[in-house]
Amino acid sequence: MAPKAPKAPKAQPKAPDPPEEYPTISAKLQAEYLASRPYQVLKDTKGLSNLSASEKAAYANYRFLETGVWKTWGAAQQKEFLKTVETQKIPTPLPLPRDLGRDNKGREIASYTPEGFAQFRKKERQLSGLRRESARFRERREKARRKQKGRGIEDSEGEIEDERNRRKFIGVLQGKKMGIYEGDPRWDDVVPIPQDDGEGALAAIAYSDEYAEAMGYLRAVMAAKEHSPRVLDLTEHIISMNAAHYTVWLYRASTLFALEYPIDKELSWVNEVALENQKNYQIWHHRQLLIDTLYPTISSDPTAIHALETSERDFMTQMFDQDAKNYHVWSYRQYLVRKLNLFNTTELQSIEVLLRSDVRNNSAWSHRFFVVFSDPAYCTPGSAATAHDPRIPADIADREIGFAKAATFEAPQNQSPWNYIRGVLRKAGRELASLEAFAEEFVKLPSESGEGEDVRSSHALDFLADVWAEKDETAKADTALRLLGDKYDRIRRNYWEWRRGLLDAGVEGKMKGLSVEDVS
Amino acid sequence: MSLVSGPGRAASSALPDEIQLAIEPHVKYIQSLDSRRNELEYWLTEHLRLSGLYWGLTALHLLGRPDALSRDETIEFILSCQNENGGFGAAPGHDAHLLSTLSAVQVLATVDALDELDERGKGDKEGGGKLAVGKYIANLQNRETGTFAGDEWGEEDTRFLYASLNALSLLLLLHLVNVNKAVDYVVSCANFDGGYGVSPGAESHSGQIFACLAALNIAGRIDLVNVDKLGRWLSERQVDGGGLNGRPEKLEDVCYSWWVASSLTMIGKLHWIDGGKLTEFILKCQDTKQGGIADRPGDMVDVFHTHFGIAGLSLLGYPGLEEVDAVYCMPKKVIERVLGPNK
Ligand SMILES: [Zn+2]
Repeated sequence: MAPKAPKAPKAQPKAPDPPEEYPTISAKLQAEYLASRPYQVLKDTKGLSNLSASEKAAYANYRFLETGVWKTWGAAQQKEFLKTVETQKIPTPLPLPRDLGRDNKGREIASYTPEGFAQFRKKERQLSGLRRESARFRERREKARRKQKGRGIEDSEGEIEDERNRRKFIGVLQGKKMGIYEGDPRWDDVVPIPQDDGEGALAAIAYSDEYAEAMGYLRAVMAAKEHSPRVLDLTEHIISMNAAHYTVWLYRASTLFALEYPIDKELSWVNEVALENQKNYQIWHHRQLLIDTLYPTISSDPTAIHALETSERDFMTQMFDQDAKNYHVWSYRQYLVRKLNLFNTTELQSIEVLLRSDVRNNSAWSHRFFVVFSDPAYCTPGSAATAHDPRIPADIADREIGFAKAATFEAPQNQSPWNYIRGVLRKAGRELASLEAFAEEFVKLPSESGEGEDVRSSHALDFLADVWAEKDETAKADTALRLLGDKYDRIRRNYWEWRRGLLDAGVEGKMKGLSVEDVS
Repeated sequence: MSLVSGPGRAASSALPDEIQLAIEPHVKYIQSLDSRRNELEYWLTEHLRLSGLYWGLTALHLLGRPDALSRDETIEFILSCQNENGGFGAAPGHDAHLLSTLSAVQVLATVDALDELDERGKGDKEGGGKLAVGKYIANLQNRETGTFAGDEWGEEDTRFLYASLNALSLLLLLHLVNVNKAVDYVVSCANFDGGYGVSPGAESHSGQIFACLAALNIAGRIDLVNVDKLGRWLSERQVDGGGLNGRPEKLEDVCYSWWVASSLTMIGKLHWIDGGKLTEFILKCQDTKQGGIADRPGDMVDVFHTHFGIAGLSLLGYPGLEEVDAVYCMPKKVIERVLGPNK
């Protein structure tokens, strides 16, 4: 069907008046869409049969335009058609507004205000510019790296700083911060290895992006066996989030040694970490590895050894300020005493300071026993803690008994010094009975009429029960054990009854008794 | 298995006399642990994952619910933690460590799947997959002192020595190491107070005592222990509330209750403490609604204390529980199946 000759339309149809402001971009696009089809709107509102002839003609031409049918016509006819369209002022119909999708926060972009949408578009343009720039930077670095075979690419500080800022800006624009390593050009050559944990992998990312990202980079450097300064930064970062991660410590140690990193610097860093992670034990093994490495380099320098002794003791004092019974610290301390040969008065004095602030600190008592009775200056090498050592000087034994005695007067119900006294007597090969009078200061057995009973320490009573059994004063021993089971330590009644049974068994009992030689 | 604490919290106030072990809630609690992958703590405790599985699984077996975790998935996970050197890491991709290797062997023994090592295990499998694991462990022995390191980095601890003997005995490979030297080392850790520490001269500690005694037990040398002196120190760990502590003047704790009670069991002196009061203490540490057991009343529950609480109750003969083996901390039935009735 050929279009009629063009005629100036009598009445130009008008699209509905556009409102001053559109509430959303989608409303605006919809209005523009309709505004580009005035004859369609006219037809829809008036109905085809009510259109004038010229309006009908314009509507038909609009349809040709919309459907694209005119493109199938001959060239002359097309030219004629376009001219008519121009004279009839039929606008080119805009395509149906496309779905704008959602932004990275899940919001429908169609619901943006027109101004918001304009800003969004501007941001998108900026972003793609920055991304292009960033990609060029990476490409350039990658090429340089390949040239240098992966080692030591030179970049100006400024260039790296620019790129870091660029990535920060990308993060801001996309509304999602870039990961620390993803945003740091120095890590571009590393492809992080994500957690391989089956179906949980996705959820894994959700818990903490920072931890997950850092672990991904750690897996990658470990796989590449990279030992470089940046690995120290990475492991420090991970340890600050999770000091219990065993593998991280090991990898840090191997990196330190590979780099020949200064041990004293590492020690002071480890101090900080230990103070913040009281319960962590990986730190203490790490510390031992450091000392083992450091020691051979200073072993012939008494000043350096002394300085190390002092700084280590100061550090442990800080640890003990927080928890004076921290088992890891005490084990480490024994290691250090052996390693640096700290069987000296300074060591004993620093234990005394701790016991003065808490006489019930069993760890300090135990350490004292170790220091006093392992001192190579006078102890038999290899003498077991439970064995009599004939080389222990009498004055040392006296000193230790005196020290423990004083502590029992301070806190009679504190079991540590009582155990300590038994240990010292054993080491020195003395009988328990040698301290009978001392123990009796805490105990008055009741008279036959049951009067005058005064027990200030169940441990003293226990001690005396052994003394009296040793001396065959069975009746007194029996009374003591009965009092313990019935009154002073009822929760362990069965134990005290068993001890009483040993008294009845007489000689046999003595053989099994607590005061006999240790098996080992 | 998640090591995340909570969500439950043990009751803090006094409980009625007739308080019971909340078996069903505990089963549900353990089953739910692995669904907590979206919590940060789940990932921060990754270094304990394999041991966590051992704790959870053993507790379920003791509760009489061995099928509450999928056997196939359990085996798959264990095998996925094995390193090329034959040892097991705490989770896939972690370095091998003795403690996680022990947990792996214990779990495989519990679900009767040690043979899977021969078929699907890693390491130098000449002589079989079990042997590969055994060789990994044997390499960690310090041939001079007899003790064991936890890994190639050489940290030594009597717990590692116990872990080695435990795992090797379950694999029937004790002959790979110098057991006599290991025994000598344990003896050198005995202290003046009768206890044992982490190394010679180190303070006596209930956990280390458990490790030393169990090691001597596996080596058949419990005769080397001064039973009366040690029993006395161990029984002194019971505090007025009924719970047991790990060292003098420390707070009572469910896990120490296990270590002390199992040690007393190994030397035949469990009756020296008040079992009734200990039972009561452990039951007070439960969250009876959401399941799980805490270290002490009022604290957050976790799978570690849930396991040791239930194991402690089993040791004390709590009705309806499977019997636990004091040395291996595994169901007695399993130990008898692996080692024979007269191990
Ligand atoms: Zn605990």
